[in-house]
Amino acid sequence: MPKLPTLEELKKEVIDSQIWRSVFRGGVWKDTPRDRSAHIIGNVWLHLHPVRVRKRALEWTYTWGLGGISFALFMILTVTGVLLMFYYRPTIDLAYRDIKDLEYAITLGKLMRNMHRWAAQAMVVGVIAHMVSVFLRGAYKKPREFNWSIGVLLLTLTLFLSFTGYLLPWDQLAIWAVTVGTNMAGATPLLGNEGPMGNLVGAHINNDVRFVLLGGTMVGENTLLRFYVMHCVAVPLVVGILLILHFWRIRKDSFSAAPYEPNEDKVEVWPHLVKREYIAAAACLLVMFIWSIWMNAPLEVIANPNVTPNPSKAPWYFVGLQELLVYFDPWIAGVVMPGLIIVGLMAIPYIDTNPKGVGYYAWSERKFANTGFMLGVTMWFVLIAIGYWFRGPNFFWYWPWESWLMIKAAPPLTWNVFGPNATWRLWCTPNLSAFPLWLGIPLVGGAGLASLVLPKLIQKELDGIKANLGVLGGLALIAVIMKLSPLHVSLVKGAWLIVFGWMHFYFGFLLPQRHIRALDWARYLVTMALVLSTTAVLLKMCARLAFDIKYVITIPALSMNI
Amino acid sequence: MTDEPKPQPTNPAVAPAKPVAAVPAALAKPISRADFLWTGWAMLAAFFGASAAATARFMFPNVIYEPSQKFNAGPAKGYDIGVSTKWLSEQRVWIIRNEKGIYALWARCTHLGCTPNWWGDQNRFKCPCHGSNYTIEGDVIAGPAPRPLWRAKVEISTKGDLIIDKAVLEDIPGKRENAPYFLTLA
Repeated sequence: MPKLPTLEELKKEVIDSQIWRSVFRGGVWKDTPRDRSAHIIGNVWLHLHPVRVRKRALEWTYTWGLGGISFALFMILTVTGVLLMFYYRPTIDLAYRDIKDLEYAITLGKLMRNMHRWAAQAMVVGVIAHMVSVFLRGAYKKPREFNWSIGVLLLTLTLFLSFTGYLLPWDQLAIWAVTVGTNMAGATPLLGNEGPMGNLVGAHINNDVRFVLLGGTMVGENTLLRFYVMHCVAVPLVVGILLILHFWRIRKDSFSAAPYEPNEDKVEVWPHLVKREYIAAAACLLVMFIWSIWMNAPLEVIANPNVTPNPSKAPWYFVGLQELLVYFDPWIAGVVMPGLIIVGLMAIPYIDTNPKGVGYYAWSERKFANTGFMLGVTMWFVLIAIGYWFRGPNFFWYWPWESWLMIKAAPPLTWNVFGPNATWRLWCTPNLSAFPLWLGIPLVGGAGLASLVLPKLIQKELDGIKANLGVLGGLALIAVIMKLSPLHVSLVKGAWLIVFGWMHFYFGFLLPQRHIRALDWARYLVTMALVLSTTAVLLKMCARLAFDIKYVITIPALSMNI
Repeated sequence: MTDEPKPQPTNPAVAPAKPVAAVPAALAKPISRADFLWTGWAMLAAFFGASAAATARFMFPNVIYEPSQKFNAGPAKGYDIGVSTKWLSEQRVWIIRNEKGIYALWARCTHLGCTPNWWGDQNRFKCPCHGSNYTIEGDVIAGPAPRPLWRAKVEISTKGDLIIDKAVLEDIPGKRENAPYFLTLA
């Protein structure tokens, strides 16, 4: 009987075989720096990495691996998504039944669907966290401006992928989220049949941007097919292209924005970085497995295009947008604001001229940038929290401890400040306005213009304490006068005015006056427009929640209501 | 600039011998290589632009297969005073009878298109998506909706049935209280 080869001999035999050597090139692996470099350079996937990387760029606490984790989740989504496609047919008659089959009739179908759903939600969180971490480290600054902008597009597409995927189960959650979402598109100025000036340029229900999205006039068979194609083919293709650009740029921009130190140590990417990537990806997969075994993806009753569940809520990452829609007309909250957020985020590297704080957490050196950005992020999540936990039946305000079975009194009537049919008195009946447009347009326009330019025109830096106290005192005085006036405005409403009015003053005037008045006019105006549109949201929320104001100014002839 | 025709010095004493026929510049000299290439690129760009427009047009279907907006809501006599939700889940319409007659409200919130619910005890329609409130007339009294609920065309057939057409809509006070958006009943 011939002697059996030992394991070592067998391994050598395999590795030295012509097949193995043709797949994995190079000679005997001696784990020299040359071997490690060759491994990165000679592999089409790994060569998106540099060969060597600075040690400090690899610390977990520097990036938290958030970009890599987002990509790992994207890979999980691709694999589970392709698997789901084997059983899912995008037609009204079959879609819901196929999802039910995945849940109950197909081995591991439920697990696959759960993983796809939860990984999608985790990816939204991952991408947002990645953006916040990159922002706080100032890693978007020159020469990485363009890569930041690509990242913003990737975030937008991540949300769009979630949105298109939301329709596919064809349950009540799906159809109403998409009905609301596509109706927002119908409110686009000029391009939508319900948007301002849409009818002037000939937008109708059967030729506008909403019609293209839906492939019809209502969410139906064509819509399901369109969303399916966008979700499974068109958008992932674009995401893939942008991801390659994103990664390539990172490699070209010396991988990490961490500031250089003299004689800094570099380590080989193989194995130090690649190892970390594998660990992060494996951890993602494990967490997704456990999460998906533990919790099931939601599925409501089959879609009914005529009856809306009460309350009807968007997926959590869009609930903030839904909450905004309570205060603003759809074309503002659904089109202009998301557009401003995307364009504003992409503009950040080009308007932030502060040379300090590149590549490290630097709160004190970047007070204005960090405060403004975090105000926006915080508002986004506070709005989500309000929409998710504080809204009940009829989208009415219910505290988390209140039962939804309790029927609330009808909400108070709303009124407009400036508009046609002026009555010359505050707190009017619905659809009427307190003051006429000829007063409102110059007043609101003038106030907007003044807030835009004043911080730059005041050359001398204001005394922060005096200014804050002055404004707080002034607002308190107004609150007291309103209480004593014949209107008897309650002090709680006065407190709303003080808090929100002060926030608008602090974030929209005092901070810009302090930090960006020296910017050139172009960058200054763009920054201020973004800052003021953020604080204007606070003001409008205060106006609606505390003072029942529907519109500050309304021009019905143009469908222009703010 | 060298091949521009030089202005002839005019001498009034000497009459021009013969007027020379003006030769168009384009014919006088063959097209230059750069101009030729630019024209080519411009035509290519125009072709791509037109292709993009054609592709966009491709995304607009010409025929859509959607349910008819017209339906028979049964005998007009069958409706008592108040809001009937009988056709809500099938046709998305409330049929409302008052002392004078009948009108049909299309149950689509004018804000973002959800279906509101009728709350009889508070006498209003309330939308579950963003909290808009409407009166029984369809006027907005709270929440973000920008305009009143639409009223659909109501006709009566020879048999006395209500025929409702959701493709013909009106929401302007004054117009919406008249035919065909309101059916006066004796």
